[in-house]
Amino acid sequence: MNSRRNFLKQISAAALATGVIPPTLSWAMPAAMPAPQSSTLDVPGEDGMIVRSFRFVDLETPVEYLDTWLTPVPRFFVRNHMHEPSEINAADLGAEGWQLTVGGEVDKPFTLTLPELPKLEQHSVVNTLECAGNGRSLHRPQVPGIQWGKGAVSTARFSGPRLHDVLQRASVKSTGKHVMFRGLDEVPGKVPPFIRSIPIEKALDSDTLIATHMNGAPLTKHHGFPARALVPGWIGAASCKWLTEIKVLDSEFVGNFMSPGYRLPNQPVKPGDTVKPEDTHPVTALNVKSVIAGPLDGAAVKGGKVLVQGAAWAGEADVVKVEVSTDGGTTWNPAALGHDQARYAWRMWSYNWKAKSGDYTILSRATDSLGRIQPDAPVWNPSGYLYNAVDQVKIHVA
Amino acid sequence: MSLKNPMWGQPPSAVRPGEARRFAMLLFWVVLISLPFIAQAQKPTAAKPTEDLPAGPMQAKATTACTECHEARIILQQRLSKAAWTKEVDKMIKWGAVVNASDHDALIDYLSTNFSPDQSPYEPPRSTTEKTVVKKSK
Repeated sequence: MNSRRNFLKQISAAALATGVIPPTLSWAMPAAMPAPQSSTLDVPGEDGMIVRSFRFVDLETPVEYLDTWLTPVPRFFVRNHMHEPSEINAADLGAEGWQLTVGGEVDKPFTLTLPELPKLEQHSVVNTLECAGNGRSLHRPQVPGIQWGKGAVSTARFSGPRLHDVLQRASVKSTGKHVMFRGLDEVPGKVPPFIRSIPIEKALDSDTLIATHMNGAPLTKHHGFPARALVPGWIGAASCKWLTEIKVLDSEFVGNFMSPGYRLPNQPVKPGDTVKPEDTHPVTALNVKSVIAGPLDGAAVKGGKVLVQGAAWAGEADVVKVEVSTDGGTTWNPAALGHDQARYAWRMWSYNWKAKSGDYTILSRATDSLGRIQPDAPVWNPSGYLYNAVDQVKIHVA
Repeated sequence: MSLKNPMWGQPPSAVRPGEARRFAMLLFWVVLISLPFIAQAQKPTAAKPTEDLPAGPMQAKATTACTECHEARIILQQRLSKAAWTKEVDKMIKWGAVVNASDHDALIDYLSTNFSPDQSPYEPPRSTTEKTVVKKSK
């Protein structure tokens, strides 16, 4: 056994992990080093997440975690617009007082309590949830909002009763065209409450849920305990957390988070253009997108076999193709798609690249069943929604 | 010890026992000397749960106006033009931020000076790592 070589490997690994290279060993190290470690913060139940905000809580999944079909809950991104409800406590399941009212344009309004939810027929949907603002920090010029990198996206198996079954029990009137969700978020100051609505067709879809579970376990507080809406294939904002009211409306809900919030211009706009509200539409389904989970941007890898891998998703459509370019976009190679698939879930993809030494720009590009393809350049918009440009990392091969 | 060392890359059988011992001693000292650096680097600085706004004449007033509802980190990560900051401040006043009319322009100056598009990006902290069981898909 060549323990000397192993020992050197260990030192190299330690130096890589710490960013410290003893000068005498520098010849044994790869040419480029990862960025120095950032500061840390203890967020109970959360694993190695990028803390975009602590109060209120907004946590991003680092891209290197986007390499599993189901994201473990401690690595599932968290987006809160407000403070989490203080009277609901997932730790002691103290949700006795929790109620879900169903009303509005219905013949038989009623109220559900927590023990009643498991008695309804249960359904599971593996869904890729992505924040509409994922990738916002990559837009130029920059736009206001949480400056998400690439990881405000994760995938889990959500379970609970179908929204359809609950609405059917309430008997929706013919005037019922939209369904509004209200959560228990605590609203600071005079901030408008986080209330949004979805069209009745999507609400009645057999995959739209009142989710109580995530990857087989009850929802944690960060993810909406005891129940949240789960609107598959749509932006995360549609899937209201800490759900307490479902109201059927005759028109789209009027409020900040429907307009001007979460709307896109009907036509492409330039920075500085004024967009009239009537020239916008609500952001609904996600678009086509792929992200490279590894190698990481700025990484130094050994020559030979290099595994380029990541995830690709397309909202309500299916990913049909992921291509990888190792020459900055001149030539494209098909990536292998992972065998795990579900209608609203991302596909894992990988490409085995035989790499020679040099500096490279690696790109990934997804195409979906609607014929949509990731654009080379992002489509800028005033709120930085639905960033989906071809992904790219720059790496060094030793 | 250098790349030119003819010993490097030879099978263990080619290394004389005396040389191996000397090599081990050398490594021992190299590691011992670098340990304090490694230990220091392994301990990333602990971030404050909520951040502070930067020093300046408007620091106290901005802290009162903004962090009543959200922490400073939300501001620290923005990189906006003066026009964009003006829109944000006016929206937040509408949403309950308490800003005296006489402080309005100074607050916008403070924000657009400290958080302009040409500043380097804010480095967010990472939450500490836990042992998470990961089921790898094939």
